[in-house]
Amino acid sequence: MKNVLGRDIPEKIGDRVLQPFAGAFARVPSGRKAARPQKTIKPGENKLLGSIEEAIEATGLKSGMTISFHHSFRNGDYLVNMVVDACARMGIKDLRLFPTALFPIHAPIVEHIKNGVVTRIEGSMNGPVGAFVSQGGKLKEPGVLRSHGGRWRAVEAGDVHIDVAFIAASQADAYGNANGIYGKTSCGPISFSTVDAQYADKTVVVTNDLAPYPAYPFEIQQGWTDYVVVVDEIGDPDSIASGTLRITRSPTRLRIARLAAAAVKASGYLKDGFSFQGGAGGISLAATKFVGEEMERAGIVGNFAMGGGTKLLVDILHRGLVRAILDGQAFDLAAAESMRHDQNHVLMDPGHYANYDSRGCSTYMLDAAFLGATEVDLDFNVNVNTHSDGQLLHGIGGHQEVAAGAKLTLITVPSLRGRLPVIVDRVTTVTTPGEVIDAIVTERGIAVNPKREDLKERFVASGLPVRGLAEMKAEADRLTQPPRKPIFGDEVIALIEWRDGTIIDAVRRVEGWE
Amino acid sequence: MSEQAAVGAANKGDCIVRAVVSDKLEVKVQTSSEDLFGTGLKVVVEETLSALGSPKVRVDVEEHGALDYVIRARVEAALRRVLPELAVWRKEIERGRTGRDRLRRTRLYAPGNNPRLLAGIELHGADCVLLDLEDSVPLAEKSSARILVKHLLSDVDFPEVWVRINPLSTYGRDDLAEVMLARPHGICLPKAESADDVKELSEELARLEHENGIDPGSTFIMPIIETGKGVLHAEEIASADERVVIMAFGAEDYTRDVGARRTRDALLYARSRIVAACAAAGIQASDTVYADVDDEEGLIDETKHIRDLGFVGKGAINPRQIEPIHGVFRPTDEEVEQARKIISVAREAEEKGIGAVAIGGKMIDRPVLERAKRTVDLADRLQEGWL
Repeated sequence: MKNVLGRDIPEKIGDRVLQPFAGAFARVPSGRKAARPQKTIKPGENKLLGSIEEAIEATGLKSGMTISFHHSFRNGDYLVNMVVDACARMGIKDLRLFPTALFPIHAPIVEHIKNGVVTRIEGSMNGPVGAFVSQGGKLKEPGVLRSHGGRWRAVEAGDVHIDVAFIAASQADAYGNANGIYGKTSCGPISFSTVDAQYADKTVVVTNDLAPYPAYPFEIQQGWTDYVVVVDEIGDPDSIASGTLRITRSPTRLRIARLAAAAVKASGYLKDGFSFQGGAGGISLAATKFVGEEMERAGIVGNFAMGGGTKLLVDILHRGLVRAILDGQAFDLAAAESMRHDQNHVLMDPGHYANYDSRGCSTYMLDAAFLGATEVDLDFNVNVNTHSDGQLLHGIGGHQEVAAGAKLTLITVPSLRGRLPVIVDRVTTVTTPGEVIDAIVTERGIAVNPKREDLKERFVASGLPVRGLAEMKAEADRLTQPPRKPIFGDEVIALIEWRDGTIIDAVRRVEGWE
Repeated sequence: MSEQAAVGAANKGDCIVRAVVSDKLEVKVQTSSEDLFGTGLKVVVEETLSALGSPKVRVDVEEHGALDYVIRARVEAALRRVLPELAVWRKEIERGRTGRDRLRRTRLYAPGNNPRLLAGIELHGADCVLLDLEDSVPLAEKSSARILVKHLLSDVDFPEVWVRINPLSTYGRDDLAEVMLARPHGICLPKAESADDVKELSEELARLEHENGIDPGSTFIMPIIETGKGVLHAEEIASADERVVIMAFGAEDYTRDVGARRTRDALLYARSRIVAACAAAGIQASDTVYADVDDEEGLIDETKHIRDLGFVGKGAINPRQIEPIHGVFRPTDEEVEQARKIISVAREAEEKGIGAVAIGGKMIDRPVLERAKRTVDLADRLQEGWL
């Protein structure tokens, strides 16, 4: 069937009847949230187990079940491989993995797909797992990609039932309180997992740093945790967070960032009480810096900036340019450090900032946001999931919720990456619909969504180079022969969920080339 | 001439093209994504070869994100090394016109041999872009750079674009012959030391304009003064030819030539003399570049200094320097308001036939009025730009 964007999506996957995407705010939820079984424990009961294997036995994890993970240790995470290896050794097969995201370090999962230990994956697949799955025919059911808020919603709604949640923590006590803020391998918030911990049938905290009771802040709470396992190493500190993220030095990317900052200034939103989302990509990092400088020049104090936390955002807080940082993950060491010491650097979970089925999202309070894309199209639709060759690339992150919430959503992209045009007639995959995108900023100028005539007028009045999207596309296209386009078959590799649980697009297997 | 040649580098945005004389025409292409780019690359290479007369060569292209004009340039450069008698690639192009007194607050330098730095160079908002074949291009790349610049000029529109050639005594004539095929707005003459230097270039331009069907006299000249002798002859250089619309100062070579350190004092005489020479000839004066890209404060300070000396623009070696320089040349709202007031008071006085008028006790004489007009003119021109 076709959804409202004209994207062809399957009616059913397994037992699940799919709902087509009908508009950014079209779906109205009904019914009640799912819940885990009741349980009580008596004083003095022990939750500490000796190994991952013991935890697998204690939780009753069996073939066919679903296990979940968070990605706060990013490319330094050891836990996913540890647990799946242990399952394989214990003869458990047919697992559904439900990570927030996989990274190149999780390449061994490819072998576990081949030998049947892992047969389904719902989560972002960065790196070798994504490349492998993209070949098609590898998983029993298509992968499902969800945004931060979309994943949270799916768990609460019972769309995904987690049998056992494994939660890596840089610090925990033996009673099951855990966090990512302290400990030898601090990674910043692990709050992606707070929903898993509360809705999974069984919750296991795994740490390399056992602290005396109480370990706090209580990102993961004792009342949610069934078992605690201590391991020698939980992750590679060098790959968890970057030292300092570098602002791009590319003149083209810096120009895009300057244009984006100038657009924020021209938009009229930049005044006392301003709020914005700072990114970690090269362009958005630079745009964040330029907006900070503009606030300083104009003497503006903002209400809040939203992370992922970076040193740059922490500096903006310390310079008094915003009252608070709201942060769901730390992209560098300075951000993790700041959370330990500064009560205005506030920790929050995806349920707080992004959940569609909720009574409020922080992203809805945002004035401005800078987001990236692998492709954008003439309808302002944005793709962050796939490459122009149809390969699964990136997760959605908070892209959908930020774009849906912010009053001014700017997509900051170069018009060309090497020989590859970024502005296309129709994106390979829709991640975020054009209806929630306000403008696309490239080095060639700013294209304003026709829905935002008001913005366009402001930009023009400020002397900004407002251009048509088609005009910028034509200019970039003149510089290269068009790349060939993949021909997609029928087999669905992955579903892309909109944040409300409806299907915005399906990624199909590449069968040939035009 | 040699049997084989390799041009380009394994850098982002570039490609390596290897050409070997063979008994038939063969093309091999290597790319990061054969699926996406293989076909398109072959089309570009084959079209280029056909424009060059389909010579019998084996061509290997190793692509690293190069745009089409870079591929074409590298293919042509490699082929011309192995077959010097080959036809020269050219494309019919329309180049938009530019004016003698166009706003030229910034001239942005870009090395003519570096595709990564040339990509998008037209988009940074510089008043003019200056593609360099001289100091930033090593000897071994002189020929491939002038070919690359020609192809860039053939594919990309610029508000105003200049090419800095090598001195006519070295490779300048070869540079001109190549780049004039793609009709830049102007030619920048380094180390100009006499009126004859300019006239020699002007005659060469006249010949090439004629050959290439370009309007006679439409190619501008920007002499760069960068020696003691050049400074002493600034006046004759500035007024040597109708094509000269702007004259620039090059402090790095100048200080070396006269044995000075680069201090403000050491440059003051040269700068002042250049400004005076330009004023006398009725052309624009543009200052030297500021070498420390990371020192924005220093750049702004120096730009204010040279603006006060009478320069209307300054060189930039990185796009990051454009906004700070433009900022210095942007009149403040108060300045514009004051200037408009001066103009209106002066007009009123003229209508009433009053000779001398004053604002706040200050006489409005002709120079004051002229300056006010320039300020308002600049403010009006800047209406459209955000930089």
